Amino acid sequence: MGVIFYISAAVAVAATVGVITSDNAVHALLYLIVSLLAISLIFYILGAPFAAALEAIIYAGAIMVLFIFVIMILNLGPQEARRERSWLKPRMWVGPAALALILAGELVYLLLESGQAGAPAGTASVGPEPVGATLFGPYLLGVELASFLLLAGLVGALHLGRRETGEEAAGEQEAEAGAARAGGAAGAAVEGE
Amino acid sequence: MSGADFVGILPLAILAAAAVLVLLVLSVYRSHLLTCILTLLSLAAAAASLPVAASVGPRGVTILLISDGYALFYTGIILAATFSVTVLSYIFLRSRPGRREELYLLLLLAALGAAVLVFSSHFASLFLGLELLSSSLFVLIAYPRGILNVEAGIKYLILASVSTAFLLFGMSLVYAQLGTMEFARIAAAGRGAGGAILIAGLGLLAVGLAFKLALVPFHMWAPDIYQGAPAPVTAFVASVSKVGAFGVLLRFFRLAGVQGHGHLFLMFTLIAIASMFGGNLLALLQGNVRRLLAYSSISHLGYLLVAFLASGALSVTAVTFYLLAYTATIVAAFGVAVLVEGNGAAGAIADYRGLFWRRPWTAVVMAGALFSLAGIPLTAGFIGKFYLIGAGAGSSLWLLVLALVISSGIGVYYYLRLIVIMYLRPEQTAPETAPAPWSGSLILGALFLAILWLGVYPAPWIDMIQRNALLK
Repeated sequence: MGVIFYISAAVAVAATVGVITSDNAVHALLYLIVSLLAISLIFYILGAPFAAALEAIIYAGAIMVLFIFVIMILNLGPQEARRERSWLKPRMWVGPAALALILAGELVYLLLESGQAGAPAGTASVGPEPVGATLFGPYLLGVELASFLLLAGLVGALHLGRRETGEEAAGEQEAEAGAARAGGAAGAAVEGE
Repeated sequence: MSGADFVGILPLAILAAAAVLVLLVLSVYRSHLLTCILTLLSLAAAAASLPVAASVGPRGVTILLISDGYALFYTGIILAATFSVTVLSYIFLRSRPGRREELYLLLLLAALGAAVLVFSSHFASLFLGLELLSSSLFVLIAYPRGILNVEAGIKYLILASVSTAFLLFGMSLVYAQLGTMEFARIAAAGRGAGGAILIAGLGLLAVGLAFKLALVPFHMWAPDIYQGAPAPVTAFVASVSKVGAFGVLLRFFRLAGVQGHGHLFLMFTLIAIASMFGGNLLALLQGNVRRLLAYSSISHLGYLLVAFLASGALSVTAVTFYLLAYTATIVAAFGVAVLVEGNGAAGAIADYRGLFWRRPWTAVVMAGALFSLAGIPLTAGFIGKFYLIGAGAGSSLWLLVLALVISSGIGVYYYLRLIVIMYLRPEQTAPETAPAPWSGSLILGALFLAILWLGVYPAPWIDMIQRNALLK
């Protein structure tokens, strides 16, 4: 089981390095999905099949697919179509695909090994019921706090992402003023060093 | 959770309910003044609930939070600072275009995060509180959406994420070694336990918190963010987020017994000395008031570590009193910045030149705040430093005490230089300034009186801290 862990961990690290070094957003997202799948596998071998399923369904599935949809749908047009064709070149998908293949191999091996879809031999399995009982028992306040954390993120995203009427004109003025101020700040920073 | 448990965390519940209330009101009726008043009223209500919460005695509320005198006293400091920042924000936003109301909602959420931090008795609540604080803060820093604001906000977001990664890794190492995330159990299991993994875990945890406190060598973000954030938010970053993070740092490492781990003790000693000298020496070179105050805050957090490393009951008293004094002082200083700074670069020294001749009372408040930061007698900062040195000397931490004395001697120079600039004759082209709004005068006056009160007659506060707010 140790070997499986180290392979998954290496895949997760390699995929995450891919995320931060790719200069193409879709390419980075593909790597991010692989990274999340690797984490999901690690959850599985630690005896948490429920957390593994959530990781795969919610993160790798719902959230990441939403990201890719948004990026691909935002700018439609002939130029975008050309760009999408360039994403289908092997250079773009061969890295994430190879990493995903390693993970798939591990998963098949694990399923054959344990003979069933439960926990691998040697670890106690934590199913959905204890997770729910813990979350809404001793960790109830944590769940409530997490909801406020999401509220803060939501309000922040709404405020920073909102486009105000007449923003273009105001934005240009702001940029000029900002550039002037940035010059001043750079001067102060030089003084500071 | 029983009814008494709920009473124990009543201040947190009121803050949370206030955030939801403001959100609902905003969706129906947008009014800047109404939102501000609602925020102020709910902060006052949360403060009024502190004695009620104290009446149910020290008790653990689920495994995540602990409601004791220490948590309630720190929450009191947080609420008072947030109250002042809210009034300053109103003055700051009054004449600015764009949506203004969300700032109050985020202030409430950030204050909730800081309060959760000082209540926390478990890694999960520590993490959630810290994240709630920093994710609200990064939006607050970028709030006016100018280029410098957004740049500062992004810097804060990235560094906060990095420090959170350190923190989480430290937590997971401690958990791997001891098998529990509750502070009390960690303290019990970790006593006498050595082991490289445990030391590394505690060390990473300390690094994560040191990032939030901007201690040297994790201080790079502080000057840029102090300069780039809107002035009231800078006051919030300098006061509330430091109180929250230091509150939990002190609680956790007191329990875990920092004196028992030689390596950790050495690490904190080095960080303290580097922060005291680094902050004060770099502040000497600054030509911008905001950056100067940022480096000064770095050195003040270094002073606090001296008492943090001391043992005995005096240590907690000294830290708590110093945080109280520092909060009143720094909010007053940035309150002056809100009233004084014009449309030029944030913290430009030109805004302060000859301030006394244009606005004598504002200049007097600023001078009081600077005297308090320098630790001149009759101000809060003097008594605070007196207790810090007392705590350090009581535990024979002579090296740290010596560093504190020498570096605060260096610090006096740049505080006094700024005061001299304020009393210079203004240049002919001095910017014309509107009179201060009455709400601003009121809050600055109150903070000034608080600085004097803490400096002249601190006995009731010391007494209150020693009776209620000590850690067991």
